[in-house]
Amino acid sequence: MGEANIKKFKRSRTKRLYYFDYSLFLMLIILFAFGMVMLYSVSAYQGNLKFGDSAYYLKRQALFGAVGMLILFIMIKVGYSFLDRLSGLFYFVSLILCVAVNFMGSSGGGSVRWFRLGPLNVQPSEIAKVAVIIFLAHLISRSNKGLRSTANIIKAFLFVIPFVVVIAYTNLSTAIIVAGIAFIMLFVAGKKSMIFVVLLIIGALGVALFIIFQGYRSNRISVWLHPEDYSEGFQTMQALYAIGSGGVFGRGLGASMQKLGFVPAANNDMIFSIICEELGIIGAIGLMVLYILFAWRCLVIALNAVDQFGSFLVIGIMTHISLQVVLHVAVCTNTIPNTGVTLPYISYGGSALIMLLFEAGIVLSVSAKIPIPAEADEGTVLTQ
Amino acid sequence: MQRRLSISFAAVCVLFALLTARLMYIEKTSGERYEKKVLSQQEYDSSIIPYQRGDITDRRGTVLATSVDVYNVILDSKVLNSVKKTNEKNKKNTDIIETTLKYLGQVFPDIDLEDARKTITEKPDNQYHVLKKHASYDEMKTFSTLSTDKETKDKIAGIWFEKEYVRGYPYGSFASSVIGFCSSDGNGVTGIENRYNGMLNGVNGRSYGYVSEESALEQTVIEAVNGNTIVSTLDMNVQTIVENEIKAWNDTRINEENKARFGSKNTAVLVMDPSNGEVLAMATYPTFDLNAPRDLSAFYSEEELAALTSEDQFNALNTIWQNFCITHSFEPGSTFKPFTIAAGLETGSVKGDEIYECDGGEQIGPDYVKCMLTHGQLDLKASLGQSCNDALMQMSYAIGAENFSEYQHLFGFGQRTGIDLPGEARTDSLIYSKEDLGRTINIATNSFGQNFNVTMIQLASAFASIVNGGNLYKPHVVKSIVDPSGNVVKSFSPEIEKKTVSPEVSEEMKTMLRAVVEEGTGGIAGVLGYDIGGKTGTAQKLPRSAGKNLVSFIGYAPQEDPKVLIYVVVDEPNDPDQAHSVFAQEIAHNIMVQILPYLNIEKADPTLFDEKKEYTPMFTSIETEGTVHTEQTGEEAPESTENTAAPAPEPTEGAQQ
Repeated sequence: MGEANIKKFKRSRTKRLYYFDYSLFLMLIILFAFGMVMLYSVSAYQGNLKFGDSAYYLKRQALFGAVGMLILFIMIKVGYSFLDRLSGLFYFVSLILCVAVNFMGSSGGGSVRWFRLGPLNVQPSEIAKVAVIIFLAHLISRSNKGLRSTANIIKAFLFVIPFVVVIAYTNLSTAIIVAGIAFIMLFVAGKKSMIFVVLLIIGALGVALFIIFQGYRSNRISVWLHPEDYSEGFQTMQALYAIGSGGVFGRGLGASMQKLGFVPAANNDMIFSIICEELGIIGAIGLMVLYILFAWRCLVIALNAVDQFGSFLVIGIMTHISLQVVLHVAVCTNTIPNTGVTLPYISYGGSALIMLLFEAGIVLSVSAKIPIPAEADEGTVLTQ
Repeated sequence: MQRRLSISFAAVCVLFALLTARLMYIEKTSGERYEKKVLSQQEYDSSIIPYQRGDITDRRGTVLATSVDVYNVILDSKVLNSVKKTNEKNKKNTDIIETTLKYLGQVFPDIDLEDARKTITEKPDNQYHVLKKHASYDEMKTFSTLSTDKETKDKIAGIWFEKEYVRGYPYGSFASSVIGFCSSDGNGVTGIENRYNGMLNGVNGRSYGYVSEESALEQTVIEAVNGNTIVSTLDMNVQTIVENEIKAWNDTRINEENKARFGSKNTAVLVMDPSNGEVLAMATYPTFDLNAPRDLSAFYSEEELAALTSEDQFNALNTIWQNFCITHSFEPGSTFKPFTIAAGLETGSVKGDEIYECDGGEQIGPDYVKCMLTHGQLDLKASLGQSCNDALMQMSYAIGAENFSEYQHLFGFGQRTGIDLPGEARTDSLIYSKEDLGRTINIATNSFGQNFNVTMIQLASAFASIVNGGNLYKPHVVKSIVDPSGNVVKSFSPEIEKKTVSPEVSEEMKTMLRAVVEEGTGGIAGVLGYDIGGKTGTAQKLPRSAGKNLVSFIGYAPQEDPKVLIYVVVDEPNDPDQAHSVFAQEIAHNIMVQILPYLNIEKADPTLFDEKKEYTPMFTSIETEGTVHTEQTGEEAPESTENTAAPAPEPTEGAQQ
């Protein structure tokens, strides 16, 4: 049906040809399908145990995926320009939600993180990531000469600070991702360099201080360094066991033992470790290459976007997905302290999947606005 | 912008590369160790599924012993505490511990909730605490319904049930010495439970996970194999009649005056089918409750019980668990006389037309062996009918040691019958060898059933062979074995061990035995309208001077093709006047009055009815028969022989094994 939409789109403007990034779309489908297969493999045991239905998680994920896909096609059809006009609204609404969740939300895993909305758990921080991307893209595209001065860059940062602070209160990892998105977007837009070095240092110090002063998290450092010695290190150790036991080629799809109740949160925060166990290092590298290709297509689209707003939307989204993959893999390999980060398009999670498909829709809609020069053929135009 | 974007992209690529390196590092340095760790922490979650021990039924399928499923209530503090924590996080108001305890208390009023609460708080990680053992299926079901019910399921956590089977005997002391009982771990201790333990027990099932060759975890459930059902040859009705009559008779011997606990030391009755060796009833008195086999309160007063050492208790229990019919040996007395006569007839050493002169006894060396009366002239039939010792002694001389010994063995005396019950007494050292029988005093006293020991089952089986035409069947209490799905695994058909006498001798013997009841010493046992044959016995126990007796009656019906054999033994009846077989005959009579019609035994004269309890004994005077008075004259007396190689027959008491 995607193609049907595109054809219609093409027919309505027969005079000019527009680019549509099929390879990105294909990668998205592959990622999503792979995600469903892996999720089913990982969650079947738990689903059967908890709900008496081995496909319980798969069915729910498929439902949210369908909703997300619908949003994706609507985005392609409608185009992304309306986001420019609504960026302020997005910004404030999601900020209010992020604050409100601390008082009215439901808890899970120790922190209050989401609203219950019927069958869906809505995480305002998931929305916040997109809101920040849209708002910063809007901001950058409006400062028509770019962010020339350090002051402007700092001003732009100030808009993001409330989000980071509010989200960090309950969910440090998402706060880091939000900060990281802002950092990269402004770094690409900015004309100065020193300020970013300084910000990097400040950011690192901030994280360090945050960890030291917030009691229950400070223990995570010792757990991180010596996971074997702490009962809190159980999840990390189990994830490492899974990765280690997978070897180069893995146990084979569906053959993980660690998913049988040993790796906590195996279907979201730790799914990569089960992928390693079942598909081995080869499978893990393959998956990471897929994400890199995904990011590379985003890069190409960003560089060819018709306007700066679209360009920076794509940069933000690229950063978001890449950062999340990096953090997720880093957590699973105990490269950084344990913090809950999901693997985009693969981990179980309703609101996250919908938002990620929405983001993919934005990227594709940006690609769809790129005109193809009359004499060039599609393949050569956008190679950089 | 392009440059900075490229830098960012490159940074991401570098990060990915670093993470890949990290992955490889983990695999390289710890891969093997972690893999072992993964395999080692698979607990395979194996749990035992208990099998159900098979039932024991009577010949018509009435369940006499069965295993009932019961459920242990297990408390998992860890789960309860973790659910409580989660609830608190989710700001749910229900205190899961209190609500769980509330419902527990509702369904199981006898659970100590304080103890449960203590365990939850003091041992928060404990996952296995037995709150109650052996809750019934209904209780378990009630609670399980609550814990799955929509309204209450969120209020119950951390309670699960462990299935077990307990052995139950619906009729308590019914046939207790035959059925036997089980220890709590499901192994038979006595009776059929012990002998057929292997058939009754099944194989525990198991549910477990294991790692297959491809290192994949497989979940497997091996169902338990339930035990087989043992169909015994006992007939519930016959056994009930027998037990009731034993009890009724014994109760009449307990009165204000003697303040006795029991009406006799032992009373035992064996009812068999002489045509195949099946035991229809086997009862002993006193008896015990299979559901409480270690309860001695019926045997001792509280003070006495308190004074018992554990060894005494053990011995006392071993005594009450005995099955008199097979574990006790005793001197049979006059009930042995038919065997002497049969041996004589079969070997031709007794022709049947002899006339014996009873002059009140025999002088054998230094001993004078008395008969009860001076019978005068007796033919063979009258010798048996009047139970004359003198005639039998004269007969034994004619038979001779060789023949006597051969036939004693042929009838199975001195050997185990091989009945399918544990603890059958050995009597091989309790009878004389051929050489010892060469001494006149030995063969003479043996001829009327003294100075050697038999067991009830031995004598009854041998007697059956005399009346059934000469087939010595192996007695048995189990008819067939049926598997859990109802298929017959094994059925026990009659096994002929030996041929004892010819059909002609059998017929002759039956005529004489019939006469014992018709016109001889066995009149009380007779039932009006039925053709019954039999033989009485009164054996003075050792020491002969103590006046303690073991009285008995063995009989059969009908005369043509006997279908039922009854053997009653009363050991030391609680009565000063006990040297006669009337007690045993009374019991036999009362039993036969009821079981003969029940077993459809053909009536000789259908117009005659013998109302139970309303019989008038044919013999009004109490005869004392078969009792021998051996004058003890020093070392020549059989009881006191020390120099002979012959195994001296031991006293009746404690003469088992």
